[in-house]
Amino acid sequence: MPKHILRLVLLILGFLVIASVAVPLLTDASFYRFGHYRANSVIEIAAQDPVYQTPRYCQGCHAPRHAQWSAGSHKSVSCEVCHGAAQGHPQNGKLPIPADAVKLCTLCHEAMPGRPATQPQVQVAQHSSGQQCTLCHNPHSPKIVAAATKVAGDAAAGKQRAAACVSCHGVDGTSPNDTWPNLAGQSAAYLAKILAAYKSGDQKDVAMTPLAQALSNADIQNLAAYYAGQSCKAPARASGGGDAAAGRALAKNCAACHGETGVGGNPAWPKLAAQKPGYLVNALKAFKAGLRKDPMMAGVSRGLSDADIANLAAFYAGQSCQSTKQGKTTP
Amino acid sequence: MKNDSKPSSATRREFLGKLGRATACVGAVAGALSVLPEVSAKTEAPSAGGSFPNKDYDWTKHQWAFGVDATKCIGCLRCAEACKRENDVPRNAHQFRTWVERYVYLEGEERAHIDSQQDPVNIEASGSEKEYRFANRYKDAKVEKAFFVPKLCNHCTHPACVQVCPVGATYRTEDGVVLIDHTYCIGCRYCVQACPYGARYFNEEKGVSDKCTWCYHRITKGLQPACVEVCPVGARIFGDLKDKQSPVSLFIRNNRVQVLRPETGNAPNVYYVGIDKEVN
Repeated sequence: MPKHILRLVLLILGFLVIASVAVPLLTDASFYRFGHYRANSVIEIAAQDPVYQTPRYCQGCHAPRHAQWSAGSHKSVSCEVCHGAAQGHPQNGKLPIPADAVKLCTLCHEAMPGRPATQPQVQVAQHSSGQQCTLCHNPHSPKIVAAATKVAGDAAAGKQRAAACVSCHGVDGTSPNDTWPNLAGQSAAYLAKILAAYKSGDQKDVAMTPLAQALSNADIQNLAAYYAGQSCKAPARASGGGDAAAGRALAKNCAACHGETGVGGNPAWPKLAAQKPGYLVNALKAFKAGLRKDPMMAGVSRGLSDADIANLAAFYAGQSCQSTKQGKTTP
Repeated sequence: MKNDSKPSSATRREFLGKLGRATACVGAVAGALSVLPEVSAKTEAPSAGGSFPNKDYDWTKHQWAFGVDATKCIGCLRCAEACKRENDVPRNAHQFRTWVERYVYLEGEERAHIDSQQDPVNIEASGSEKEYRFANRYKDAKVEKAFFVPKLCNHCTHPACVQVCPVGATYRTEDGVVLIDHTYCIGCRYCVQACPYGARYFNEEKGVSDKCTWCYHRITKGLQPACVEVCPVGARIFGDLKDKQSPVSLFIRNNRVQVLRPETGNAPNVYYVGIDKEVN
């Protein structure tokens, strides 16, 4: 065999020897176990710890919240969407309660071309004027339930029963006094609701509680129907020294429920237009102090100063209650 | 003629002799190579493991697939953020394992305006490269049609990215998930180039290619991928094709589904509903 060929053969043999030693040393043992890859890498990837837990994990400690959430319209939004991944919680501390609800909620609920029509969407600027969404909405069950009870009373019977109310609320439901509310033209569902609250004791008032307790359920329906059917009077002259213009600006925050001028779309919520300013001031202060109980009103009245309350009262007192043009209902 | 043929036949004899020796050499080399370990000899049938890759999971019993219902997507981008958190993806505006595209057709225009969360306008709206939101940039425009499309790795049956990897660092698992072995990846980025869907990115921090794993560490533990877990509207559907009642089996059965770029021959496994011809 020629020398140069021999060298070549030896070189190849040398390469084969080195390869036969080096390849098994350098190749992971699990390579080729299932194919042209390292089988152990599958095990390594599968062994990583999940960062996002599931609502079931949260349920372990937060059962009441979980129950509320899973019964509400946000049940498709898992806990960790808003509160962040739960890995390391509770060992490493609390999960955040989102501080800026507007920023968070509008991720899904800002009206935007491209979102399906079935998705609840709001024009952010008009809907809340920058107020935090959580003021009115419970994030765990955000749908505001204000089902107006249907009032089927007899207005004529109500008129007879109303004789007892005349001394304070006026002959046809227009109060002669600044601190007692007008009833004429008020929504029947709200009147029935508030009378029932006085009767049951959910709401207390020195004068109203004994009167309401003397009423039967039918009386309440009749009274509500009677007063709702009365026509309300022209706006009272503003008194009490509030600034109606400042009140108008503040009232934008109330418009979603009470309408832009105090005549809301939903009969479960009271009309405020042309209401007695003194009464409005007292009512707002009572909500703020917790004497009148309503979760939503407690939230919105919390941030109001006495001056704000006076301004709001002045604004609503000056509005026309006969306006059939209602403020936009919840957009 | 005869004179010419004589040397010619001698050459042929010589040539045949050399050919014989060469064949013997090749045979010897081949014989030596077959002595080498590994190669096909150690490859076992995937079912041999019983439970793999963890003790409660047998990868031969599953065949995962993903569904996207673009008619439900609201573009909230919770999926994109959850994915980054779950999989330790760099928190910047350029690298994503999953993302959402917005297609907007304005009146009188032929072509769609397309943007995703990494568009500078959208990053400005979110105020951070770590948080994502779609800016309401078309709210005053005359929009004829608009929709959102979530995108992710298609976990193809014939993945081009796996074919081009020079070191066997990426592969398709028995249960239908295309994974990357970060220990073996040499960062050559052939796979990033080869993917027709742009589903892979290069992770500079780790020096390796990276991509969606359908949260392999979650699905092998009986959980849903993080993006599916956080989607508030059910636009992302995940499940096992071997289970006829799984969400994705029902999704494929009850809808007219399509895949992206079927003409590439990759045979993708993400099934879409409600997308337009411009989406690919």
